[in-house]
Amino acid sequence: MIDWAWLGDHLDDLASRTLQHLYLTTLSVSIGFLIAFGLAVWSIRRRAVYRPILGITGLLYTIPSLALFPLLVPITGLTDLTAITPLVLYSLLIFVRNFVAGFDAVPSDILEAADGVGYSERGRFWSIEVPLAVPLIVAGLRLATVSTIALVNISGLLGDRFGGLGFFIFEGIRHSFPTEIFMGGLGSIALAIIMDTALLAIQGRLTPWTAARVPAGVPGSVDRQPVATP
Amino acid sequence: MSTAERVVFEHVSKRYAGTGAGNPGAVEDLSLEVPAGKICVLVGPSGCGKTTSLKMVNRLIEPTSGRILIGDTDVARRDVIELRRSIGYVIQQVGLFPHQTVGENVATVPRLLGWEPGRQRERAAELLELVGLDPARYTARYPSALSGGERQRVGVARALAADPPVLLMDEPFGAVDPIVRERLQNELLRLQEQLAKTIIFVTHDIDEAIKMGDLVAVMQTGGHLAQFAAPSEILANPASEFVARFVGADRGLKRLALIRVSDLELRKPLTARAGDDGAAVRARVAADAFPYLLLVDGLDRPLGWLDDRRIPSSGQIAADGIEPAEPLLDRRTTLKDALSMLLEAGVQAGIVVNPDGAVDGIVTIETIIERARPS
Repeated sequence: MIDWAWLGDHLDDLASRTLQHLYLTTLSVSIGFLIAFGLAVWSIRRRAVYRPILGITGLLYTIPSLALFPLLVPITGLTDLTAITPLVLYSLLIFVRNFVAGFDAVPSDILEAADGVGYSERGRFWSIEVPLAVPLIVAGLRLATVSTIALVNISGLLGDRFGGLGFFIFEGIRHSFPTEIFMGGLGSIALAIIMDTALLAIQGRLTPWTAARVPAGVPGSVDRQPVATP
Repeated sequence: MSTAERVVFEHVSKRYAGTGAGNPGAVEDLSLEVPAGKICVLVGPSGCGKTTSLKMVNRLIEPTSGRILIGDTDVARRDVIELRRSIGYVIQQVGLFPHQTVGENVATVPRLLGWEPGRQRERAAELLELVGLDPARYTARYPSALSGGERQRVGVARALAADPPVLLMDEPFGAVDPIVRERLQNELLRLQEQLAKTIIFVTHDIDEAIKMGDLVAVMQTGGHLAQFAAPSEILANPASEFVARFVGADRGLKRLALIRVSDLELRKPLTARAGDDGAAVRARVAADAFPYLLLVDGLDRPLGWLDDRRIPSSGQIAADGIEPAEPLLDRRTTLKDALSMLLEAGVQAGIVVNPDGAVDGIVTIETIIERARPS
């Protein structure tokens, strides 16, 4: 069913389409990350804006991608912006929800301790709140990355210049050539798995304190050693 | 070491929006002065405003009226961030930063103050040592790998890092088990002997207040100060029905916790050594108000009690058939502990020994009970 000879002849295409796929994904996820970070910070500072932000990003999320890519063409033309805009918009809901949940998960006694020892508001945010929100921030990043990698395929609707590995899927459908469909599909899946694994590894590096919890009261704990009464 | 500073509350009130006095956490016209280097415990039932009062010192809560001075300076006139960095703060949940190692946690304020990294590390190690944690073992650990008592120690070390003149402690030992709590209390008192900080300590536990405080402020629901005095004074002369009830019916027993063996005039027991002349000793025993004989060794260390029937009327005293010399007390033992040890051993008198183990005197149950009565 798979035409291995064709595959061997098109390794260059595969490499360049993979790079394009990564480029579109990274760019959209990065832009989405930054916008959502701003929205999340706004939401935790002013609770009232959180519901409207969730409403709007949720509404954007419901627009079918098949419709959104073509709809943007009259506005932005056939540019990278047309491919990237929907990807960014779809990532916002995932990001905002996870970021806000991450900041909310920082225990209040830790915030109080931070205020009490004399952190400035900005110092507390960057030194305490952001690092402690990292597990949920990265969880959002992984989800958004995997979902964006899948969506990049759809941008192939816009023509041969776009779509990353999705280009092969559209080509395969057009020529009824399963090898190309498989190559695009499996490549996209592999990319998603690799990126997800990489992000997980990065999270481990960023949050060493969550790893290898030693049970409390380790042997030789000073709690159980004798001390003279004063 | 920086010098401690006094803390003064001058007509401080905190009212919460839309409510009058008498609401949980409110404080009504609080005036008191904590002298430099003393421990003042704020104690009272929940909602009495003790934590609110504490948090107004480092301005986590701003008073509605009145002012608080540290030294001679109104805290409201100081930059709030700079103020908080100059005050040690310990809370019940400890609030260690879970993503920072023990060393980084302890060095928090020095880091915020911009100390050299080397000096920060040195200071962190010094403080861990001070609170009884081996820096080599603990510096690189994360808080999740510590027991409750260890966390609380790290919390105290963090609060002391920049050598603040004032320390605020909000139910610092409320979340650890009673054995660990007792140990941490004792260690804090030991530390305070060296550090002599001004400490404001919040608790709802009157026993802890009596034990820890040089001064105790009993607060009443509605944020009123019911009494502000030394623990012994509060036990002996409660200012109101509320204080008397809050202190509890066992005031006499509690008072015993404030008196140490060294505060008593010790009775000298009759002592003899093996080999002494029986007849002479018998005569001494018969003439004494406390007619029990304690055998000691050549260095005056107690061997045990000798029943007077076993004192020979002639010849030498032998060291057999003696009752064990228990309990042994030292001069720092509180009368409460001493009484408990005497009851436990089922004896009338405990032997007080000096650090070399030699007999200093004895304490009897009657002497202790004498001191439990209101003076």
